[in-house]
Formats: sequence, structure tokens, C-alpha cells
Amino acid sequence: MIVSAKPAISIRNLSKTYPAPFRRVRAFFRRPAKEPVEALRDISFAVETGEIFGLIGRNGAGKTTLTKIVATLVQPTTGSVSVHGDDSVLRDEQVRRQIGLATAEERSFYWRLTAEQNLMFFARLHGLSDRLAKQRMKELFAKLELEEVAKRRFGEMSTGNKQRLAVARAMLAKPPVLLLDEPTRSLDPLAAARMRELIRSLAAQDPPVTILLTSHNLAEVETLCARVAIISRGRIRAIDTPSDLRSKTSKLEQVHITISGLNGTNERVSFTRQTGDTQLDTRLRELQQRGARIIDVETEKGSLLDALEMYESKDETR
Amino acid sequence: MSSLRLLPRRIFAFVARDFRLFVSYRMQFFLRILSVLTVVTTLFFISKIFAGFTDPQYSQWRDPLASWLTGLAVLNYFMAGFSSLATSIRQEQMQGTLESVLLTPINLPTVIVASSAWDFLETTFFSFLYLFFGRIFFGVHYRGSFFLAVVFLLLTTVVLACLGILSASFAMVFKRGDPFGIFLGAGSALFSGVFFPTQLLREYAGPKLGNISLLLPATYGLDGIRQVLIEGHGLRDVTRPLFTLLCFLAVLLPFSLWVFGRAVRRAKREGSLIQY
Repeated sequence: MIVSAKPAISIRNLSKTYPAPFRRVRAFFRRPAKEPVEALRDISFAVETGEIFGLIGRNGAGKTTLTKIVATLVQPTTGSVSVHGDDSVLRDEQVRRQIGLATAEERSFYWRLTAEQNLMFFARLHGLSDRLAKQRMKELFAKLELEEVAKRRFGEMSTGNKQRLAVARAMLAKPPVLLLDEPTRSLDPLAAARMRELIRSLAAQDPPVTILLTSHNLAEVETLCARVAIISRGRIRAIDTPSDLRSKTSKLEQVHITISGLNGTNERVSFTRQTGDTQLDTRLRELQQRGARIIDVETEKGSLLDALEMYESKDETR
Repeated sequence: MSSLRLLPRRIFAFVARDFRLFVSYRMQFFLRILSVLTVVTTLFFISKIFAGFTDPQYSQWRDPLASWLTGLAVLNYFMAGFSSLATSIRQEQMQGTLESVLLTPINLPTVIVASSAWDFLETTFFSFLYLFFGRIFFGVHYRGSFFLAVVFLLLTTVVLACLGILSASFAMVFKRGDPFGIFLGAGSALFSGVFFPTQLLREYAGPKLGNISLLLPATYGLDGIRQVLIEGHGLRDVTRPLFTLLCFLAVLLPFSLWVFGRAVRRAKREGSLIQY
């Protein structure tokens, strides 16, 4: 686990248990009380400045609670979260100045106001002057292809545009940290690709934006994230690069070689090998010696889904 | 930039937002104006029944229409004072927008104060309409210092806003069933002398029930405003209600802020800040 001197987000021994509401009152009236819910247990990791960090896990695994704690909306039971050195409980306002959260929650906007009026309201809350807010909105509307719907009421916008507006709102005050919860869930394939490109460019720009990405789209996580954390039942089960997570799942990989020249037609040769062994080298040499022309070589390692399943099943057997 | 310096801008953001939402329902606005006019007209005709029958000991009630109109205008204001704080946060919770507002660098007390600012502006407008319609259509005369009346109005509203903070704390923890709103809403209309002199309560219902009016800040606010606007009294004559309101403020302000702080901490701990 990487813990650098000045990470953008630093999470230390974080646990969250939601208390059962009015437990003592219910006990007094002899009513059955709900049990406290342990949402997160002893989580520690750090996200480096400019890193795109993925958080994957099943529904109810604790991703949303973790994101909300970073966003200062929920207080941790124990442990701490800091964003660029500011504690999320003790200096919550300073933390909020440094983060932008985009969720797929449509109800977080005012439906009778236009896209522009909605963003202006939030820009003012961030303390932006009207002139600066208008300039920033213009940039964001262009970047997220929202110019045509800027004057449309939020309630009349398509789901994809609503989602893009949520990302625009998160980026309004140019926060150095973005928390993105399934940013491409409702987007068409082209728009989703552009959004991924935008996310990549934000992390690469100067000064870079740190991104904590929560998603169920594992291919997207794999493409975008430098590191990924697998969260299961409130605990971080693994943190690593996507390729290392995949290789942890299985040391075996499928190799598919497409060749031409043996029978005059294209053929596909497939075999399983131990990652990093010499089999591929040997097979390629053999094929070339027999006069085949190598057209393509594909390898299929274990996927992030395999990794997720592996940790989930480990947890189930505990 | 400090939160305090940004406060006016943030209040403006909420007022601008609420104004836009308000004008998106134009019909409702005109219907409300019409309803105020209807109420004032109805009260005018009812007041004609009592013309010449008013007991001279109730000096503020010589012109019942003037008393009712001041009562209603002020009651409107008082209701906004203690209900809008709780209502605003509840509305944001129900709309689902509270989370996105709280994600900006703004603290919860600012959200509550700023999001109820439009309510006060709207109430000021409609309260003024009661007095305005009374004056231009039915010849009701007000005298005395308007400045002193406004002082009473503001002081009473701040006292009731303290109860509003208690109410908002209750709404934040229990999500619904706000007892302050129910008791103070119905209680103020009945016991604080909006529609009839509080002395009548003591006469007919006995001292126990009649003395409830003495526990309500609205009673002193209304008494002060009527003494100024209807009887034309000056500052020296209204020291008793003024002092009583200041005592209410001295007790309720620190208490309500303490309760509110505890409610916010509890909601954040339970993760229920945005639930409804």
C-alpha cells in the first residue's frame, strides 16, 4: 500500500457504524430495536495527487459511505480522513472547498430551474462572483457539450445530460479532488468515451486533479485507474494496479495466436500458460518454422470481475 | 474568503433561487394576492357588525378591523419566524437537494438562515398587503412610530426564530412530526390575541387557561405593535412588552443554538442528515 508524505486523500483506520436510532427509547417501551450497522471497518489507504483511484465492490459494500465520509456528509465512528491535509471532521468547510462530488442522483438539482440557473446557484454558494461563474459555466458547457441545453429546465433534460450537468457542477469551483460516482452510467457510448477522455485529461493537467472513481463498470475502471481498491463488506480486500489485481486472481492466462500460411486460410491457435513462462516464445518459434505468418497474439488474463468474485467468495466462507 | 464575508452572497443565492422557483408558479402568486384581498374584505364586513359595540376597556379594539389586520399581518410574520427554518431544511431533504447544497463550503446554520430568507421576504410582502388593502380600500388609519413597530416586529420574529431553530433541530433528528409548529401555530392564533383581546380569555376561560397567553412571545409582540400603531404610544409606554421580549431572547437564543448544534452532530453521526 502506498502512503506518501503528502497524499491528496489520506484515510487512516476508518470505521463507520451507523447507530440504531432511538435504541434506548425503544428498549424502554419494550419495542424491538434495530441493530447498529457496521458499514466500514478499519480502512486505510492514500490517493496520490493526480491519481485516478478506482473503488469497486458490490452494492452495499460500503463505497457510498466511504465517499460520503470523504465528502464530509457523514462522520466516521473512528479513524480519520484528510484531503490535502485538512481533516474531514475538524475542518469540514476547508475539505468541501477542495472536493467536487458528482453522483448519478437526479434529485440533487432543482427541476424547475434551467441548467444555467442551477449551476449559477451552486457557483454562488461556492463564493464565485457572477462574472467568474458565467465564464466557468461557459467553459464547462462547451467541455461537456451542454451548450444546447443550458437554457432548458433540468426536469426537461435527458438522463445523460443530467448526468453531465452533475459532473459540470462538481467541476465548477475547480476543486483539486473529484469524487465521481459512476460518471458514465447513463451516457451513450460516444459520450461515455468523451467523459473518460475528460477524466484522463483532468488527471494529466497542471495542476492535476485527483480523482476517486466509484463504478460498477469494471472495464472503465481498468482503463482509467492507476490503482483500484476492492471493497467488500466494509473492508478493503485489496489495493493494487488493475493488472496486478488480475494476476493475483490467477497465475494462468489464455493465449490466442492468429496465423496464416499453413492451409492458405487464417487459423487460431489457443493454449493456456503460466504467466511469464517460456511457452509463448517456443510456440511462436515452432509456428514460424512451419512457415506460418503470425497475424495477431492475444492474451486473456483473469479480469477484475474474477478478482472481485474471488474476494467476495473468500468473505462468504469466513 | 471567510464564511461571514460570503454570507450576504450566499443569502442572495438562495433568495435568487427561490424567487426563480416562485415566479415559475405565477398563478399561485396572483391567487394569494386575491385571497388576502378576500380576507380583508370579509373582515371589513364582520367589523361592521361590531361597530359601536366595542367595550371601551379594550382600547386596542375600538376599530376591530385595524386590530385584526395588524394581528393577521404580524401573525404571518411570526409563523414564518418559527416555521420557515424547519420547513426549509425539510423541503431540501424531501427534494433531495440538501446533500448537494451541503457539499458546497457552507455550514448548516447558514443553509437554514439563507434558505428561509425568501420566506421572510415573501411574508413581508403579504403582511404589508393586509395593512395596505385595509388602508386604501377600507380607510383603516395607523398612527404612532412605524420604526418602533418594526423594532417590535423584528424582535418578536427573532425570538420566534429561536423556537424555529428548536423546531428545525427536532425535524432534523425525528424527520417529521414537529410539535413546536403545531403548538405555536395553533397556540399563537388562539392565545396571543390575534382575533380577540387576551383579557377575554381570562374572563371566560379562567386564569389558568387565560395565563397561557403570558407564556407566548407573540402576545407581547402583538401588544407592543398595537400599542404603537393603533394607540399611538411611544417608547416609554411600551417598555414592559419590550423588556419581556428581550428576556425571552436572552434565554431562548443560547438554548436553541446549543440544541441545534447537538442535533446536527447527531444527524451526521447517524448519517441521517439527508434522510427524510
